[in-house]
Amino acid sequence: MLRNMTNGEVIDFVRNFEGYLLTNNERDVSQSDFKGRIMPWTTLRAATARDMVGYFAFEVSGGASVHVDLMKKQINPFEKLKLVRKAMPNTLLQAGVRSHNLFGYRPYPPNVIRKVISEFAKYVDIFRVYDFLNYIPNMKIIGEEVIGAGRIFMPCLCFGIGSEHSNEFYLSKVEEIKSLFGTKLILCIKNHSALGSPERIASLVSAIRKEFPEIPLAYHGHNTDGNDLARIVAAIKAGVKIVEVCDHGFGAWHSQAPALSLVQLLEEYDYQPRGLNIDAMIESSEIIRYERRYYAPFESPFRGIDPLVHAHKLTGGAVSMAYEQVEELGLLSRIHEIFKELSMVILELGDIWPVTPGSQILWSTAVSNILYGRYQQPSDDLKRLLLGHYGPFPFYDPPDWIYERVLKEDAKGGKRLDKSSVKDEDIARRRVDLEGEMGRDVSEEELALYLLFPRDLVSYLKFEERYGKTWLLPPDIWFHKGRFENGRRITFSDDKGKLHWIDIISTQVMEDTVKTSCLVDHHFKTYTVKLKDNKSI
Amino acid sequence: MIKKLLVANRGEIAIRIMRSAQELGIHTVAIYEEADRFALHVMAADEAVCIGPGPRRDYLNIDKIIHVAREVKADAIHPGYGFLSENPEFPKKCRDAGLIFVGPPSEIIWQMGSKVIAREIMQKVGIPLIPGTQNLPPGEEGESMALDFARNYGFPIMIKAVSGGGGRGIRVVNTEDALISGLKLARSEARVSFGNEDIYLEKGIEKPRHVEVQILADNFGNVIHLGSRNCSIQRRHQKLVEIAPSFLPPEVDKEICEAAVRAARYAGYVSAGTVEFLVDHDNNYYFLEVNTRIQVEHTVTEMVTGIDIVREQLRIASGEPLSIQQEDVYVRGCAIELRINAEDPKQGFMPCPGVIEAYQSPGGHGVRLDGAAYQGYEIPQFYDSLIVKLTVYGFTWEEAVDRLRRALDGFNIVGVRTTIPYYKAIITERDFRDRRFDTTYIDLHPDLLNYKEKDDEMDKLARLISEINAYGYNPHI
Repeated sequence: MLRNMTNGEVIDFVRNFEGYLLTNNERDVSQSDFKGRIMPWTTLRAATARDMVGYFAFEVSGGASVHVDLMKKQINPFEKLKLVRKAMPNTLLQAGVRSHNLFGYRPYPPNVIRKVISEFAKYVDIFRVYDFLNYIPNMKIIGEEVIGAGRIFMPCLCFGIGSEHSNEFYLSKVEEIKSLFGTKLILCIKNHSALGSPERIASLVSAIRKEFPEIPLAYHGHNTDGNDLARIVAAIKAGVKIVEVCDHGFGAWHSQAPALSLVQLLEEYDYQPRGLNIDAMIESSEIIRYERRYYAPFESPFRGIDPLVHAHKLTGGAVSMAYEQVEELGLLSRIHEIFKELSMVILELGDIWPVTPGSQILWSTAVSNILYGRYQQPSDDLKRLLLGHYGPFPFYDPPDWIYERVLKEDAKGGKRLDKSSVKDEDIARRRVDLEGEMGRDVSEEELALYLLFPRDLVSYLKFEERYGKTWLLPPDIWFHKGRFENGRRITFSDDKGKLHWIDIISTQVMEDTVKTSCLVDHHFKTYTVKLKDNKSI
Repeated sequence: MIKKLLVANRGEIAIRIMRSAQELGIHTVAIYEEADRFALHVMAADEAVCIGPGPRRDYLNIDKIIHVAREVKADAIHPGYGFLSENPEFPKKCRDAGLIFVGPPSEIIWQMGSKVIAREIMQKVGIPLIPGTQNLPPGEEGESMALDFARNYGFPIMIKAVSGGGGRGIRVVNTEDALISGLKLARSEARVSFGNEDIYLEKGIEKPRHVEVQILADNFGNVIHLGSRNCSIQRRHQKLVEIAPSFLPPEVDKEICEAAVRAARYAGYVSAGTVEFLVDHDNNYYFLEVNTRIQVEHTVTEMVTGIDIVREQLRIASGEPLSIQQEDVYVRGCAIELRINAEDPKQGFMPCPGVIEAYQSPGGHGVRLDGAAYQGYEIPQFYDSLIVKLTVYGFTWEEAVDRLRRALDGFNIVGVRTTIPYYKAIITERDFRDRRFDTTYIDLHPDLLNYKEKDDEMDKLARLISEINAYGYNPHI
């Protein structure tokens, strides 16, 4: 029903809805708890059941997922959206956007932002947009494109705690949003770091509702400290209409709170699950719980609830990747030291919100400070932050000594960069570049992805040319370890529903080559692989 | 009727001959050189005899073959095509040994095998000839004759070996200098290839179509034709694609077929044979040569007429009259034949012998396969590289081309490179589909070699799985 409405009708529906609406944020669960590795196969397995639940929306794209789709899952993000759209025709699709950083880590040129958003707007119904500096002008171009495309614009307030993060501050941001975009939008409170008490959240929601009653509210939280259910209940009681949740068989440490637990809890407060199919909710969650075993290797080594997030404030969506980085550096035993350093760095660097790309800047600065001394080896992104490439600091600038240590001769007063200095890209030229790389014409969608991640897009396209649609393979094959035993049958359906099978007949190991003989849909084939550097298990 | 037939050949034609023989209740004997001990024709026969280590020389050893035939008490020998099929000594020695030779008598082979004598015969029955010369004498006299001919008829000029055939022993020249140097080269090539250095000249026809007529004749003077074939698509005079009918205008087709019958009758021809012509842009036809044997492409004629040519050969050789008359012959629909070889078109069609690790072939309505390959077979390097002949039939040209595409897609041959991707490029090419081709077709479409061997989507996935298998993990994550 919602999919047949205009964006204005959906917003009116939300505003007038009595009760609460749920958005399933699989994208964030994948990113927060599984290093972004949940495969399209798993998403599609649960899709039919999820579509029957009655979720208001399903966030399946955006954030880090666009990049991870290309780099690690070898699926075109647009193809994924098409597949999910087809499998979930009744549910709105949502994408998380990092304001002018889009799905990356640095500001993109204005014409690139327009191009990318216009391509994603073909498939995405709701664009949940945030800026890690809460600098609303950074969302301008995106908002224009989303609204112009007839999609739902959901600007976020990045929520934090501390004296600066007052209701007055946030109300001023809502006023900015209203001036820039009007009221035909849904405002989201983005509590990425699981901060604040239920009472704090309720206070903020009430304040916004009082000043801006015409703007419907959504709440995006994380359950890192184990308390998000309480915050969500408080938010709903204060007037939030849409809350973000996860499948109970799926979410774990740093992602959203479980949907069914919330539904059960809300019943205690006389909020009945209007329009929700609980059986389907259970079914989809059990499917995901079964699938979860494939992703065990990607679950964060730092398990368990983390109430200390109130101190270090690292966003749930960055935690698993931050741990991955620390693990690779062999610093896991010093994780608490890094968290402590992070708390200091956040305050020193303007008390900004540790959410992407800010979370990466803050985290890598904390790690670097531990390894090399405080601000001795600053990253280029930290320099850009200080130079204002991302926007102005919301509350105060970092102290001069940090500028001097980070920027050295370019220190404060020298090279502050106005946002308009990010010049438009020569998109026609970039198209020629991509076509030259690929030796063929390219689609508008491929061009959009190229503008975002040029090197990784080309690698992906060349991978797909060689290996085909590898996302069709089940996760136990994609993540397989060891050789396949003779007689092993690998079955999967293609994107047209036709069943295929690959039977391993034999493996012949020679010095530096391995020859696999198999039946591919009853055709005998052999493949010889020359091992690089003789590497194999 | 012949009771026991020795097939003096190998590969697909040996199997094809044996099939007709077995249908007639004739006991079959295969001969093979050692390299062919696992060949399918050996398994297909009722008996098999190894005739020596080869390679090739034992298949060409008339005395040995006749000795074997007598040992096994065969009463007839079928020569197939190539090897000894157009060697006039072979039928002579068979006759002397009291064996039936399934083919024309020695004298006919000798006469038709001589390009000059054949031309004389054709001239006598009023068949147009390509302007040409007699055998050129060696040395300056021959060069002088050649230059006179060139000045009279212009270029291009074909230098041909008198004992050549099947497209071999032909050299095209376009200048007087090339003509003079070509004469010497052609002689030495003819000496090496055919054991006979005699050469002659013919005027080259610009962009001709190669059209041939299938003849059947018995020992009672009955001679019929089974329609025409178009074999214009050739690479270096070797046929790649053969088609029946030839799609000449009906009146030209009728005339050319009747001319072939006239020639065969005049020559006293017996058994199956083919009279070949070149047809120019204005549908004028000129005699080219006579092939006194069953041809590779006979299958297209069989498909459009329904007549088993080898069966007729066996019956004729058994002393029976033709089982059909001319008015029984109807050409209906269209057939196209391709020779699928173990060759790499992108490497100059270099033969690629090796083990066929997998062999799966298409089927269905209108698909005929004449092959000698099987899964596990090692294609020997000593003989031709033919894996299988694919012949398709369609009610119309378009249907036949569509069926060809489907059939080519239906092959799965693993372990050796094949000419299949090149054929796929041909059959999707506009001029081919519109039936606009002559003997220059391959030269005018060099881009056909730019084909990309399209990987099936499942092949690509299987490739990734094989990498995961090889490494023991997914190297791409």
